[in-house]
Amino acid sequence: MTAGKTFIEISNLSKRFGGLTAVDDVDFEVREGEVLGLIGPNGAGKSTTFNLICGYYPANTGSIRLDGKEIIGQPPHKIAALGIMRTFQHNMPFEGMSVTENVMVGAHTTLHGGLIPVLLGTGRARSEERALRKKADELIDFVGLSEERDTPVTSLSFGQGRLLETARALAGEPRLILFDEPAAGLTPSECVRLSEIIRGIADRGIAVLLIEHDMHFLMSLAERVVVLNFGSKIADALPQDIRNNPAVIQAYLGDAAVIGADTENGSGADA
Amino acid sequence: MADLLELLVSATASGCVYGLIALAYLLVLRPTGVINFASGEWAMMGAYAAYVISDAGGLPPILAIPAAALVLAIIGWLTEWLTVRPLVERGAGHLAPILALLGMLVIYHQVVLLSFSEDQYPLDGPFGFGRIEFGLLAGSYQDFFIVGATIAIFIGFWLFFERTVWGRSFEAVAINRRAAALMGINLRMVTALSFAGAAAIAATAGVLDSPRGSVEANMSLPLAVQGFSALIIGGINRVEGALLGGIVLAFAEDLTRRYAPIPSGLALGVTPVLLITFLLVLPNGILRAKEAK
Repeated sequence: MTAGKTFIEISNLSKRFGGLTAVDDVDFEVREGEVLGLIGPNGAGKSTTFNLICGYYPANTGSIRLDGKEIIGQPPHKIAALGIMRTFQHNMPFEGMSVTENVMVGAHTTLHGGLIPVLLGTGRARSEERALRKKADELIDFVGLSEERDTPVTSLSFGQGRLLETARALAGEPRLILFDEPAAGLTPSECVRLSEIIRGIADRGIAVLLIEHDMHFLMSLAERVVVLNFGSKIADALPQDIRNNPAVIQAYLGDAAVIGADTENGSGADA
Repeated sequence: MADLLELLVSATASGCVYGLIALAYLLVLRPTGVINFASGEWAMMGAYAAYVISDAGGLPPILAIPAAALVLAIIGWLTEWLTVRPLVERGAGHLAPILALLGMLVIYHQVVLLSFSEDQYPLDGPFGFGRIEFGLLAGSYQDFFIVGATIAIFIGFWLFFERTVWGRSFEAVAINRRAAALMGINLRMVTALSFAGAAAIAATAGVLDSPRGSVEANMSLPLAVQGFSALIIGGINRVEGALLGGIVLAFAEDLTRRYAPIPSGLALGVTPVLLITFLLVLPNGILRAKEAK
């Protein structure tokens, strides 16, 4: 399970919204195939960090390098094509499409032929289409939605929707997947299932960056944890060290007891 | 009876033209949320382009159609690049691109009026001005050609949007722009292609319609209104809604004009009455959004 070499380096990253500094001079790195936790109290800048990595917001300062190349300033679709995909805190399926179609759209970045052959209906375009459908089917099996292949996404349960988001993100053949509170709203058994899937993703060599308030869920998965508070990084350590880190306990203040309770009885309380 | 059937053939052809204009509206509206009233101008400019290409360029009418579509695709692409994109990228409100396109509508219209005299120009259909009978059905060559060409275009678009990953990706942009971008779909490219495709389709509608009348600058406004009404009647959720809306509108117009015991001037009110009725009673149009296949 030891992680591979560093492929994403984030340094001096800052983002201000008006007078509020949401992310303040943050740096950390992501290594190949690791599960990296990103935690912090509400408003610590976790989701903003995600949006900066995805290119949804421009950063004020700092750099995010993928394989040594700067990606800040690239539009979101380019960053996705470079291998950074994400799931959303609130599921965002493409309504009106089936599960399979949603996953196929996620694989859009892996199409090579361009639009002209598709419009001409060439054999190559069709075989690419078939290959994509096959890949989508495999991913749907991987996340365990085989029964729901042709279901309209609007009739999926919340937990199934989360699995669909996961399959759709995987379809883009990412090197890094960002999960934004994936366990929120899931039943305990769905949490276990998702936890297995995330471990399976990391085993495929895909790095996972995980924002999660459910400490039990996070601590069982993460190999390393970065802690943010008021936009600044206050810790970057192994999970067992994070639990005893005074700065982290301080940051959570009254919630410090929650972290303590998590490590003792393993209940997945929201921090 | 023969009279009615001939009327229906010609109404179907008119409906196809309205349907194509509605499709031009739809292609821009779905992925961008922008209603482009310049669609009627694009149809008119397409007709002029075909006239110039076949009259001065000497190209046969059948080739003038794709040539005019190509010219307008470039104009549509330039319009998006020069007027819509700068607004969107500087974070202008939703209304800004719609107003900018209304401004372009005026510019297009005046440029055509200044470049050509206010005359009407004849445009030949690919098969000339004959009349053809299929059993009870009878109509002009051009009417049957319009219907055939429109069906082919709609089947092509339907297959693209429903059966290819690219088409589904365009649809994904229409459903959720943010998620689509983060899934790796290039919003700029989708928007540019939507404008180019819409202008090409509008141009095709104009070129198909002109041999039934003539090429003139004033053809744009009625087409813009009828195409928009067809869009509302059919519903904005599905490609085939545009065609259905066009046919319903044309039937209502032509049957009223022919059989309703009202002065022919009042028959002009059919389109706005139908438009307002649908907006009040069935604002989502005849065809609902599809749940999923």
